[in-house]
Amino acid sequence: MRHLGWFAAGAVAVSALLGASHGASAAGGKFVVGVSNTLIGNGWREEMICSIKAQAKASGIVSKVILANRNGGPPEQIADLRNLISAGANAIIVNPSSRDALNPVIKQAASRGIVVVAVDQAVSAPEAYVVSNDQVAYGRLGAQWLFERLHGKGDVVEMRGIDGVPADADRHEGFTEALKKYPDIHVVAMPFTGWAINTASKQIRDLLASGKQIDGVWTSGIDSAVPEAYQTAQKPFVPVVGADNDGFIGQLIEWKAKGLTGAAVTNPPTVGAVGLAVALDVLQHKSHPHVIKLTPEVWDNTTDAGMAKLKSVYIPKLDPYYSVDMEIKPYTNYTPAQMIACEGP
Amino acid sequence: MTRPGRLLRRHAALLVMPMLVALFLAATVAIHPAFGAFDVQSLALGALPLALAAAAQTVVVLSGGIDLSVGSLMAVANVVAARTMQHAGFGQSLGLAALIVLGGAASGAVNGAVLVASRVPDVVVTLAAGFIWGGIALLILEQPGGGAPDAFLNLGAGTLFDGLVPNALVLLIVVVAAIWLPVRSSRLGLTLYAIGSDRTAAFRSGVAVERTRFLAYVVGGVFSAVGGLALTMTTGIGSPLAGTYYTLSGLAAVVVGGVSLTGGRGGMTGPMFAAYILTLIPTDLIFLNIDPNFGQVIQGTLIVLVVMGGGLATLLRQRP
Repeated sequence: MRHLGWFAAGAVAVSALLGASHGASAAGGKFVVGVSNTLIGNGWREEMICSIKAQAKASGIVSKVILANRNGGPPEQIADLRNLISAGANAIIVNPSSRDALNPVIKQAASRGIVVVAVDQAVSAPEAYVVSNDQVAYGRLGAQWLFERLHGKGDVVEMRGIDGVPADADRHEGFTEALKKYPDIHVVAMPFTGWAINTASKQIRDLLASGKQIDGVWTSGIDSAVPEAYQTAQKPFVPVVGADNDGFIGQLIEWKAKGLTGAAVTNPPTVGAVGLAVALDVLQHKSHPHVIKLTPEVWDNTTDAGMAKLKSVYIPKLDPYYSVDMEIKPYTNYTPAQMIACEGP
Repeated sequence: MTRPGRLLRRHAALLVMPMLVALFLAATVAIHPAFGAFDVQSLALGALPLALAAAAQTVVVLSGGIDLSVGSLMAVANVVAARTMQHAGFGQSLGLAALIVLGGAASGAVNGAVLVASRVPDVVVTLAAGFIWGGIALLILEQPGGGAPDAFLNLGAGTLFDGLVPNALVLLIVVVAAIWLPVRSSRLGLTLYAIGSDRTAAFRSGVAVERTRFLAYVVGGVFSAVGGLALTMTTGIGSPLAGTYYTLSGLAAVVVGGVSLTGGRGGMTGPMFAAYILTLIPTDLIFLNIDPNFGQVIQGTLIVLVVMGGGLATLLRQRP
């Protein structure tokens, strides 16, 4: 009988704990927005969620953002989506863990009048809207800039992401497309960085030590490690292509005088906010195409326009891998400060 | 202590766990008054693979072992099902499902045979097996894909009686009863508990310890394979990484369900109810709009409380 008592006491405590924070209701606005993400502790994904919160607040018509955010696969995400439906979401922004597995639950949501927007990656459900960054263009545009910069001749390194991940495959496809037009460009090394800073640093240091001829480096986002390695090894910089990360953009501005040339290709996590903007429009009966691809921009430090753009987005003291492409017009209407604050309505 | 008291203590999990689930459900309804048939089905769907992972782990833990390959084996069953059933009919799918369950038994048998023959600790053998199965799942299906006929998916994802009763709940009860009740009531069930509580005493009483350990892993393998099939039913596809999450979550359900990690103590019902509780926690957090990372904190706290409660109960029992 005694341990029955203990169990019961525990149960009461748990339900009290669960009940305690109940009643936190929102004021103003009329739409409830659900967000489902199944990769936690990842900077890019956290930024994506912050952009959704900032856009929800700036829109003035969202009363509440409900976050379903945990590590898991399709079964957990299906459960989260069902719970968001139950919780009364009018729109659901989902970064899908699978192209096909979520379709039945998306269909159920749509049949209840809920607008579902898949961001970053696609789902195959015809009811859903898909907003993603064009990863093939990401690979192609950066590679083109690099090959032009080298006047169509030289040896380059292609630092890729994770083998087998769709974004990596798409970027490689774009890179290869660009490569075909420049027969005198040769890829001398193609390491997989796993999108990990320490791995990429080691790979570029090893390449520098090997004495191989390298005329340029293309990276799939782990960018600032490359100029850093050249700086440490006291070797003359070669042109580098990276992403819209704050640390790399700082290098492009500050080390230009030391001879660093490079370009940042955007891969904005703000895609989340764009997804929300689309969802809110659809809820207010404004139509949008079901598939929206955001074309990356190329910001280089060799032109005045590029340099001006780099300077306008650079925020000193921000995390080096914080993506600074925070506003996407005409969709978003918050300020970068609001996104960094990461506050919802 | 009086006889009813002893009965109560012996079957504490049978009484306490349903009460705990009822309490959690009551709390959920209080938070979210619109909780209805749709939500019950969400709960049953979410709990099904977790409950089966817990069932697989329960059998092994009761025998005094631990199986860290449950999740990876589920992943293998999941991707094999999704690959082979994609263009199959319903009848063929059932046949394939039966083969997959046999395969689960066989892989459990390999685990059991290796650790009995090599005398390497269970943790090491099953950890290694977990890596191997994880790799094989990726070799079979590199990224999420495949499928199964709707009628087969419906076994787990559908509902009965106008949406009132989720198939996932019925399937769980039927499968666990069909596998566990015969085991539990047979000689194997008795020896399972015996080697779990005291291996030396069991050996001296003439129990074939090694054979029993081996068979525990075989039954565990069967449950893991069914768990993988459940993943296919609830998601409609195969995903090579989906299962990995269930090794530790299943173990959590086993502990919360009142099964002693040292073996020999506990039952199958507790972990089944625990799977429902662990599935309700993230749901409640979403309804309350609390950062879901607290879910892990709550789950951990629950495990500590249960283990402490169990330890306290043992202490009190030992007092004259």
